[in-house]
Amino acid sequence: MTAVQSPPVAEREIVSLPSRRGGLGAAFRFEVRKLRTQYRGWAVLLAALLAPIPIVVIIHGQSRPPKDTLFGRFATDNGYALALLVLGFATQWVLPLLTAIVAGDIFASEDQHGTWKTVLTRSTSRARIFWAKTLTACGFAVLVLGVLAASTIVSSLLIVGHQPLIGLSGQIISSSTALKLVTASYVSALPPTLGFTCLAIVLSVWFRNPAVGIAAPVVLGMVMVLVGGLGSIEAIRSGLLTTPFESWHGLLTQPRFTGPLVEGLLVSGVWSLISLSAAFAIVRRRDITGG
Amino acid sequence: MNQALAVDATGVTKNFGTVRAVDDISIQVAAGEVYGVLGPNGAGKTTFLRMLFGLIRPDAGTIRVFDKTWDQAGVGVLDGVAGFIESPRFYPYLTGRANLEGLALLDGGVRPGLLEEVLEIVDLTDRAERKVGGYSYGMRQRLGVAASLLREPRLLVLDEPANGLDPAGIRDMRALVKRLAGSGLTVLLSSHDMGEVEEICDNVTILNRGAVAFHGTIAQLRTMAPDPGYLLSTTSDERALALSRHHPHVEVTCDPEAALVVTGPRPEVSSYVASLVRADVDLLGFTATQTPLEALFFMLTDESRPSAAHRSEPLEEAVR
Repeated sequence: MTAVQSPPVAEREIVSLPSRRGGLGAAFRFEVRKLRTQYRGWAVLLAALLAPIPIVVIIHGQSRPPKDTLFGRFATDNGYALALLVLGFATQWVLPLLTAIVAGDIFASEDQHGTWKTVLTRSTSRARIFWAKTLTACGFAVLVLGVLAASTIVSSLLIVGHQPLIGLSGQIISSSTALKLVTASYVSALPPTLGFTCLAIVLSVWFRNPAVGIAAPVVLGMVMVLVGGLGSIEAIRSGLLTTPFESWHGLLTQPRFTGPLVEGLLVSGVWSLISLSAAFAIVRRRDITGG
Repeated sequence: MNQALAVDATGVTKNFGTVRAVDDISIQVAAGEVYGVLGPNGAGKTTFLRMLFGLIRPDAGTIRVFDKTWDQAGVGVLDGVAGFIESPRFYPYLTGRANLEGLALLDGGVRPGLLEEVLEIVDLTDRAERKVGGYSYGMRQRLGVAASLLREPRLLVLDEPANGLDPAGIRDMRALVKRLAGSGLTVLLSSHDMGEVEEICDNVTILNRGAVAFHGTIAQLRTMAPDPGYLLSTTSDERALALSRHHPHVEVTCDPEAALVVTGPRPEVSSYVASLVRADVDLLGFTATQTPLEALFFMLTDESRPSAAHRSEPLEEAVR
């Protein structure tokens, strides 16, 4: 140890107790700083930015369009249709995976690194740390969806073109309206994406294992897609977290219907609320006996 | 509540399932003192410190820190308190400096220059820009002390700070703790090393299997310590054993490892050894087994050690 020139901290007389507190903003900044330093967040954003480009190129180059999928029939020669085709594919498992890579790890990594005791012995409450992590994960989900949407729409329009779109009812939608509707369709994927983010958070908190936090939401999403595909279970289907991913279909019909959007918002909200409530309760009450 | 108390724990109990980790212990640490919580692994030291930091909740009893409890003040209990539990852990993908900056954010910021100051105190200034994942164990321990000092604490809680360090690291860490303790800071030090506590602390609580086995000053502990013990190896252990009968204050027993165990006051032991030389019994080896306080610690905590065979029964009864 080296001798210090100035009197060390401990040698100063501290007359009154410092009562500084790290607020939610400070905890959030620390979470963002940690996320910015990790390669996985950048890798996900890079994938969301670049992956749509070769997908668009490949589909555009196909001689036989994927007619069995929504907007697949027009995907090879209409940029809007291709962007919607990619959206339909992304909602199957890509969006749950992209958001879970951060959300499924953000709590469990504290267990992995043994750092719970490091942060919980500072002047920030568990509640603030919980909400800072949740905000970070949700913020990342918004960002990754935004990047994916922008990259897909821009590359589709540049590579395939921005001809008027034929809607689900056979109506012709002008290019400018189609752009708004396609953008709105991507925005409609935000509530269920955030629902999956919250689901990944509770799994991350519960299992304290990043692998489970990341993989389980994707597997659950796939199971929900399978269950949703079964007939005669309409009551269950409307409550599945994957169903709101289809709510944009009503925007592309004539007349438009927005009921599924509202229903999807509610379903996603309920899933998010239950997941976050459970996660919060676990974090608040948990004994930190390890890490 | 006594205003002079930094820590006032009363009747604290904690169970993990059917295992009682901490059993009705009470510990009072006065402001400004250097207090040791001593015990073997599994004695309940870390569990107690975790409760103090609010990482786990006691099943019974109360812990007041500077007259505040977790139930009343929440995280406000930790105002003026800093330290680490077991080995300090950090984010391996962040540099040492980035870890400290992040923790400072959680503390609501630190005054300008403090971060550089604490890095210098723990001699990590030159390595602050390296990622913690590449730090040695000793460097992480020192970063843990730096992270604690960043809070400008009045109470510093250190859980086995020298644990796992090499001899040089132990020497440096003890020197650092002594320097901090000497500056008027209240220090609560947990350790399983009697030598460490003896060197640094004023008062000590010895825990064994979750319960208090001793509570008092180091000076009181010294008065209860047994005579020092030595391992003796000679050319004729039988004659050495026979000669011991002329030294009533010296107890000599045969050790299972083919050596003689000698206990007694130092002058009497010296006299006995001199008599061996005069009787042409050559000494092949003569080594101290453990310090008196170490011997007492092992007695109090039921640790089986070579010299446990020559316990002083009246002493053992006295300390119980």
